[in-house]
Amino acid sequence: HPWETVTTAAMQKYPNPMNPSVVGVDVLHRHIDPSGKLHSHRLLSTEWGIPSIVKSLIGTCRTKTYVQEHSVVDPVKKTMELKSSNISFTNLVSVDERLVYKPHPHQPDKTILTQEAIISVKGVSLSSYLEGLMANTISSNANKGREALEWVINRLNAEIEEFAASARGTMRNSMAAAAFVEK
Amino acid sequence: MNSVGEACTELKREYDQCFNRWFAEKFLKGDSAEDPCGQLFKRYQLCVQKAIKEKDIPIEGLEFMGPSKGKTENSS
Repeated sequence: HPWETVTTAAMQKYPNPMNPSVVGVDVLHRHIDPSGKLHSHRLLSTEWGIPSIVKSLIGTCRTKTYVQEHSVVDPVKKTMELKSSNISFTNLVSVDERLVYKPHPHQPDKTILTQEAIISVKGVSLSSYLEGLMANTISSNANKGREALEWVINRLNAEIEEFAASARGTMRNSMAAAAFVEK
Repeated sequence: MNSVGEACTELKREYDQCFNRWFAEKFLKGDSAEDPCGQLFKRYQLCVQKAIKEKDIPIEGLEFMGPSKGKTENSS
């Protein structure tokens, strides 16, 4: 898909069925810098479906984790960069992700995504096991991310189609009515 | 999609609709016209700020800073 389509979809990525754990998205701050790039700081709330017995032990207010996301869109150079890191009450594991969307250099109707993640685990002896687990999850999430945008793009296209179809219907009706009146 | 503050969801939806339209139809096409959603955003922001304080979400100092604030400084 062209870069503009992917970027528009990325701004409206949630909700989508591939990321059911994202339950809230908020824009904390947004501005256009002097060079014309749009900066957005967003807060994502995620709920991981923790079993209710655990919830009753640790309290429901601690079952949400939050992700801070900073995105920069350059409409001239056609790049979109997303940096996100999780913030949570325990701060044991932090995951920083960086995604960059750019038009394909040789095929302008395609977009290239580069994605990297940095996982840090603090002071836990299970760290290498956890890191392995996280790395697997993150690489399968990368695929999920692409599928999620595909889903959003299809949804946006369907909405446009629906709107156009109803507009056509309305125009036909009013033309028929006008023709009838003229007679 | 909901807001982190349940009360802010409607304000968020109004702002999002305005922003998404402007983003796709103006900003990406290089139209440097002003973002028309400023008022909606202000109202939505006030609500979100309150919700974040109430829920004690530990955002690292970036919120509510003006455009002069550059990269966030992560202290971990």
